Amino acid sequence: MKTLRLRGGRVVDPANPGSGTIRDIGVRDGRIVDLHPDAPADEVIDCGGCLVMAGGIDLHTHIGGGKVNLARLLLPELQRDCCTPDAAQAWPEALDPAAHVVPGTLLTGYRYAQMGYTSAFEPAMVPANARHAHMEMGDVPILDHGAYVMLGSDELLLRWMAEGKPFEQIRDYIGWTLNATKALGLKVVNPGGISAFKFNQRKLDVDEHHSHWRVTPRDILHTLARGLTELGVPHPLHIHGSNLGIPGNIESTLATIDALEGLRAHLTHIQFHSYGTEGPKKFSSAALQLVEAVNRHPNISIDVGQIMFGQTVTASGDTMRQLANAHHASPRKWVGADIECDAGCGVVPFRYKEQSYVNALQWAIGLEIFLLVKDPWRVVLTTDHPNGGPFTSYPHLIRLLMDRDFRNEQLARIHPDVAANSALKDITRELTLDEIAIMTRAGPARLLGLADRGHLAAGAAADIAVYREAGDPESMFTTPEHVFKDGVRVAYKGRITASPVGGTHFVEPAFDRGIEKHLKAHHDVHGSVRFEHLAISHDELCECSRCGGTHVVACEPGGAV
Amino acid sequence: MNETTPPPAAAPALAAHWTCPFCPLLCDDLQPDAATLGLPDSACPRARDGLSALAGAPASGARVDGRAADLDDALAAAAARLAAVRQPLMAGLGGDVAAARAAFRLAAAVGAICDAVGGDALVQGLRVQQDRGGFNLTLAEVRERADLVVFVGSWPEGRAPRLIERFTAGRDQGPAMVALGAVPMAEGVESVLPVAALADSLTMLSALVAGRRLERPNPELQVLAERLRAAHYAVLVWEPAQLGPHGGLLIEMIQRIVVTLNQSTRAAGFPLAGANGAATANQAFTWLGGLPLRSRIGHHAIEHQPQRYGAARLVAEGETDLLLWANPFPGVVPIDTPLPRIVLAAPDAAATLGDESNTIFIPVATPGVHHRGHLFRTDGVVLMPLFALREDGLPPLAEVLGRLAEAMEGGA
Repeated sequence: MKTLRLRGGRVVDPANPGSGTIRDIGVRDGRIVDLHPDAPADEVIDCGGCLVMAGGIDLHTHIGGGKVNLARLLLPELQRDCCTPDAAQAWPEALDPAAHVVPGTLLTGYRYAQMGYTSAFEPAMVPANARHAHMEMGDVPILDHGAYVMLGSDELLLRWMAEGKPFEQIRDYIGWTLNATKALGLKVVNPGGISAFKFNQRKLDVDEHHSHWRVTPRDILHTLARGLTELGVPHPLHIHGSNLGIPGNIESTLATIDALEGLRAHLTHIQFHSYGTEGPKKFSSAALQLVEAVNRHPNISIDVGQIMFGQTVTASGDTMRQLANAHHASPRKWVGADIECDAGCGVVPFRYKEQSYVNALQWAIGLEIFLLVKDPWRVVLTTDHPNGGPFTSYPHLIRLLMDRDFRNEQLARIHPDVAANSALKDITRELTLDEIAIMTRAGPARLLGLADRGHLAAGAAADIAVYREAGDPESMFTTPEHVFKDGVRVAYKGRITASPVGGTHFVEPAFDRGIEKHLKAHHDVHGSVRFEHLAISHDELCECSRCGGTHVVACEPGGAV
Repeated sequence: MNETTPPPAAAPALAAHWTCPFCPLLCDDLQPDAATLGLPDSACPRARDGLSALAGAPASGARVDGRAADLDDALAAAAARLAAVRQPLMAGLGGDVAAARAAFRLAAAVGAICDAVGGDALVQGLRVQQDRGGFNLTLAEVRERADLVVFVGSWPEGRAPRLIERFTAGRDQGPAMVALGAVPMAEGVESVLPVAALADSLTMLSALVAGRRLERPNPELQVLAERLRAAHYAVLVWEPAQLGPHGGLLIEMIQRIVVTLNQSTRAAGFPLAGANGAATANQAFTWLGGLPLRSRIGHHAIEHQPQRYGAARLVAEGETDLLLWANPFPGVVPIDTPLPRIVLAAPDAAATLGDESNTIFIPVATPGVHHRGHLFRTDGVVLMPLFALREDGLPPLAEVLGRLAEAMEGGA
């Protein structure tokens, strides 16, 4: 039982009292421990001149599963000669950002760890593809992981809602699905819309009827959010809203918040859903309206989905919107699928350009949202990797948020109409280290119910990043001095030093097993796999995820709304 | 999931859970006798053939240059030969996910070029995915939604006997079915056999679906185009392995028809491919390293060469100095070559080896019969769990590849 002392760093730990003070952090058995200043330690690491933070947590990043692998198959030209286990050990000097648009799982794990991140969560696991998603996440080295399973365009939910089945039946179906797929949360993508597209519907507003099942996104949102609340799942409904990318979609975003009637929910990549129709191009920032709504609704949390200029690929479950956007594909090719009466996917490569009015405005809207929401605990730092940009651009994004002069320099480079008119130029706020730590660690941990992650109090997992306080925030956050995962040092000055297998975080909410006979009856007719073969057991999860550890996140049925 | 082991009684013990690994449909509703691996005569012929090939005791143990060897000695010899060569080729790749993971690890340790079993067919579909993309659907979607299914270029019954059943089971009214450029062997399937070559038919069909006026349209194709445009959800089915050396171009045309239809109605493609674990190996290599098979997993770079890195060509032109063949399914014949060979295969491959003077043969167990595992279904979305019926005392392919990788990593 070895003891490690990280000595004399400035501890940035906003989840606990005394953040920003210089003190020691003790580590034993993979956990943070209280260590008396005079207590002996087996190893002491001098952290003078360094910031000590919990390991980063990415709560929305497409790192594994069907559509991510489709993106890799679609875009071999974006793979660079740095994808082998050996070559990935070092962070290259001349970093080509395109190399991280759809990296393999090995490179994904190494690059995240090299930046000081220790957990990443896949936000769009299709039930029929759950085993595959767990396989890929298991092959992401070092990082802890988990996934949100998709419901809301599955034929069974829509059918039962159309038939007016009791809410309890749908709640138990949600509970069964979370258990069977070993998911950490529940995601809805374009509620009802992926299914509607299978019936050739091309648009679905929040109060519009699905052409076949005659249910509305409003009802779907409320039903799923209520189900999660009653099951006591810590992470609230993860919502990719209606009308992604469409000018004027702020209306559907506000209607989505309204549909929740105060129930908790997380609106993801909200930048893509915060567009107005003002101005000569009928495309404008609705960040102020969005922010006002978020500030007014404490039940709502968001992640931003910031766009970054350059090549990327958009990988989404939203077939309806991806098909509509496919003519923007760059390079000109795309792939999509209708999936198993469950869901769908669309993968469209995209290049965000500084001189594009639309792209420049998207960039500004994301930053406006980051800087205008009052409560940092309800804002998570994401680029919706890879949809807004690769996760390796986080250090650059952090600098944009912390350094107004730098931000204004970048603003001057983009489309002149945006630069001249954006509210961004008048925003003086610079995020503090505490706020960055909340948006990248403490906040996502709290939103996911990970009680022992995202902070550095005694008893927490020893997922720790140590950054040398020198240079600008971008260079500081690119290459931490040390990174620890469960107490093991995994990176040192940008080199991978150990590659443990990460653990899987999931929930197992209680539900009435009586639901299974209804599910089986439906599945025997409409499914293509025997009902008995759908659920993933603990043993099978272990095979899929290389037995990196199973972390069951506690549910509190009937818990606080 | 439950592993099923045969009870001591002589009464047939039908497996409660089984996924058939012998075709890309991976049906999970058959119940073989776990002791004899028998299935009723009425059951799927491919399932019966696959199981009967494994019903007897393993025909052979490990052999080094034709002489019986125990597993440890055979592995040591294999590691020594791998260490002595400059550019090994790992071919025939296919197997469950565990085997593919181990294969990637070994390939990375020795810098191997890797190709799939049936790599020529794989690359036809891959090329289209890389150049244009496409829009596909999965088995349950076909069954739920298709009102018109067009089989393009081949009638797949021989490779996937239950395909029509899987498309139509339990439906009040099944889809209309048409075979284009293929002779259907089922009732109720119409045949459209224009005289022209398939490529010409698809070109014309694509133009007609797009509403272009042609001077002398083939009347049968004109009717088919109208039906495709009128269908609520049309599905085009093809088998890359049956489309010939220019299959990629045909697949591209099929996908162009799908794209055109999706502008006004709904349509999707359904390729039938990836048998013998090829699709599974390709998926796992793609997620691990970022690039699909037909790649060299070098120490500093992965080099993807879909045209150059075909196994048969590399062997024929001397661009490799060792062939490591790895596939655990019966009926898969390794490439014959005088090069040093390491063959990790089902026991029935022993009879196909020919001159063994430079061959290490290690028989391996078959996933889904002798041990658990996972395989991707033809749609590439559903990863099916495999179950064990009975053990045959042979190691899984993943174990053999893993031990070789360990040896090579240690030697590096």
